[in-house]
Amino acid sequence: MSGGAAGAPKSLPSSGPKSLREMPHPLATSSSEEMGPALTPSPDLLLPRSIADKDLSLPNGTPVDTSSPASSSSLLNRLQLDDDLDGETRDLFVTVDDPKKHVCTMETYITYRVTTKTTRAEFDLPEYSVRRRYQDFDWLRNKLEESQPTHLIPPLPEKFVVKGVVDRFSEEFVETRRKALDKFLKRITDHPVLSFNEHFNVFLTAKDLNAYKKQGMALLSKMGESVKYVTGGYKLRSRPLEFAAIGEYLDTFSLKLGTIDRIAQRIIKEQLEYLVELREYGPVYSTWGGLEVELSEPLEGVSACIGNCCTALEELSEDMTEDFLPVLREYILYSESMKNVLKKRDQVQAEYEAKLEAVALKKEDRPKVPTDVEKCQDRVECFNADLKADMERWQNNKRQDFRQLLMGMADKNIQYYEKCLTAWESIIPLLQDKPETK
Amino acid sequence: MLHEPLFSSSKKMEDCLAKKMEITVSEAEKRTGRNAVNMQETYTAYLIETRAIESQSEGQCAPVDSLWRRYSEFELLRNYLSVTYPHIVVPPLPEKRADFVWHKLSADNMDPDFVERRRIGLENFLLRVASHPVLCQDKIFYSFLTQEGGWKEMVNETGFQLKADSRLKALNATFRVKNPDKRFTELKHYSDELQSVISHLLRVRARVADRLYGVYKVHGNYGRVFSEWSAIEKEMGDGLQSAGHHMDVYAASIDDILEEEEHYADQLKEYLFYAEALRAVCRKHELMQYDLEMAAQDLTSKKQQCEELATGTVRTFSLKGMTSKLFGQENPEQREAKIKVLEEQIQEGEEQLKSKNLEGRDFVKSAWADIERFKEQKNHDLKEALISYAVMQISMCKKGIQVWTNAKECFSKM
Repeated sequence: MSGGAAGAPKSLPSSGPKSLREMPHPLATSSSEEMGPALTPSPDLLLPRSIADKDLSLPNGTPVDTSSPASSSSLLNRLQLDDDLDGETRDLFVTVDDPKKHVCTMETYITYRVTTKTTRAEFDLPEYSVRRRYQDFDWLRNKLEESQPTHLIPPLPEKFVVKGVVDRFSEEFVETRRKALDKFLKRITDHPVLSFNEHFNVFLTAKDLNAYKKQGMALLSKMGESVKYVTGGYKLRSRPLEFAAIGEYLDTFSLKLGTIDRIAQRIIKEQLEYLVELREYGPVYSTWGGLEVELSEPLEGVSACIGNCCTALEELSEDMTEDFLPVLREYILYSESMKNVLKKRDQVQAEYEAKLEAVALKKEDRPKVPTDVEKCQDRVECFNADLKADMERWQNNKRQDFRQLLMGMADKNIQYYEKCLTAWESIIPLLQDKPETK
Repeated sequence: MLHEPLFSSSKKMEDCLAKKMEITVSEAEKRTGRNAVNMQETYTAYLIETRAIESQSEGQCAPVDSLWRRYSEFELLRNYLSVTYPHIVVPPLPEKRADFVWHKLSADNMDPDFVERRRIGLENFLLRVASHPVLCQDKIFYSFLTQEGGWKEMVNETGFQLKADSRLKALNATFRVKNPDKRFTELKHYSDELQSVISHLLRVRARVADRLYGVYKVHGNYGRVFSEWSAIEKEMGDGLQSAGHHMDVYAASIDDILEEEEHYADQLKEYLFYAEALRAVCRKHELMQYDLEMAAQDLTSKKQQCEELATGTVRTFSLKGMTSKLFGQENPEQREAKIKVLEEQIQEGEEQLKSKNLEGRDFVKSAWADIERFKEQKNHDLKEALISYAVMQISMCKKGIQVWTNAKECFSKM
């Protein structure tokens, strides 16, 4: 399905504007039409929704005004789904690297180099290289949440670190953070809607981000009406099963991840305690070797061997701390932010239902549904569509990420045992050696 | 499952009992009985089975003889051998109480695992004695293996307890020996160091085992959580579930690994106790040398006394000399009598010294021969132990690689 915008796409069973009479009452159970099986978090590929609604601007392959809450971007979403899966049509590449420490009078902080390579028309140049610090990434994320409230925004690594416990400037910490920031930008880059976001563009290209930030604030205050999508204050009576299922899934998912995080931490702790004992164990063989004549070399050999195993174990624990745990935590944060988006969706639906109910209570026989109620309905449907599309993308990425993460964990353990195996196999000939043959 | 004996036959084994007779400690049984003060006690009895080897070549299996012995009888045997053969490094018994245990092992003497390991240790002890060129010929040892009743009385009748030097029990008491054989001094020092280093090694190894156990067992938790997680996943479910199974396998594998390692620990323990036996031989030499020097000193002083009496000169101060000066000299008859006694004593002393010297030299010669034999045995056995330890580690690594490779494959199907 490509470029179906011009044709007459099939409409979703529950979407599309209908006359008030045709429309099922939102509180009626017929809204159950939307649902799939209870525990299916991955919705089937969506069919393009009806575009007959006049509030949407048709995307003709030209960028959409994505700062608008109305998510015509959802259409773009689906149109670009194919392109997304096909790596060859990638036209935007972003990397985070080269951390540097800056020491100023007021503070010390780290900046990272953000490199962009692109053929997109939205960018003036094919290449950019800028320096950004964590608060810039944080700013970007906030802006994305504000301007794309119907989408799932990837998480950032944790903002605050307990001083004294973690060294913010240690190589390990900086590298872990760099990887997470890189992942953050790559996820945005891969997103067919978010990657076209204006703030994202500025983040990647502006020499002076701070000036833009200030400008942005001013613009906001001028606008009067907040870009914020959600009005709040409405209570949803019941979440549609489909989204309830997603909510339940996310709850269990983050719970399980939390458990895995604790287990992994426990293993690392036990490994380090094991390492402490091994560090005392090896040298005793060496001491013994000093007492002996014929057994001197074999005992020294065993001592050295244990030493090698210590090194291998240390590497394993480090790898698990630096590569495994942060990704788990990222996904826990991701789940949290996704649950918040679900709540926002609930509120949008609640607002719509409340307004609809208010209209229905008015006994006037109106030929058309009032515009603002219609707008609400659009919002709900756009939100639902965006969210479903993002969920599917998220599920796919999650599967790939965890596949890679867990295979990586298995790999690290295999490598650890292989190193130990090599060490022990190499001393067998030494142990079997007869003194006469020397 | 019968374990291999703790040592494999050394090439230089002479025509000893072990070649002629199969010896096993095949069973252990809990018994209750009455002890010396008529109080009820529980103890373990071990079944010793013996069978002559020669007749097997005729195509027939010789009958198996068997009798039951308890640990205290083994101790009695060993004490007898130590006293009767002071120049021999007598094989040690397995430990009386469980020591160097890591948390999962029981320190209880009645624990079946401990009893099992002790059974193996006792069998090993008997095989060691039976393979020793000197000890295997001992009649008391032979009776221990073959004569059920009246053995204890037989041992006590040898009167070996009287020969035992009580000074040997005071391990750290120092005796000022002027001219010890340097080799024994060095050897005693070596045995002290060896005991110290093996103890340290066993202690740390127990802690290492403890920690390793912890690492493996925690992985078992992955099994459960992967299973729970797989329940909410569609495509990832199967991969997670089967990977979880492998984590369970991994966690369970540590039990067998550590049980095998106990075998290695037992091999080390044997030599920890052997170090003590080695030290005992050095100590005996020390005491012999001390007695010799004391006897020589005594003889010298007697000779001096004799000379003084004969010549009337007092070269060294003695209370007797002073009192006689103060209270008057003895008469010539008294002096003659004294000299006669001293001369007799001196003659006796010289003969004794001669035989002591001979005894000492014989001891040094035969002890050193056994020490050389022991050194070779030790080097051989410990090398084998280290090799088997390395083999165990290799096996553990291979198992680890296998499990994680299986898990990785499951993950790849997610």
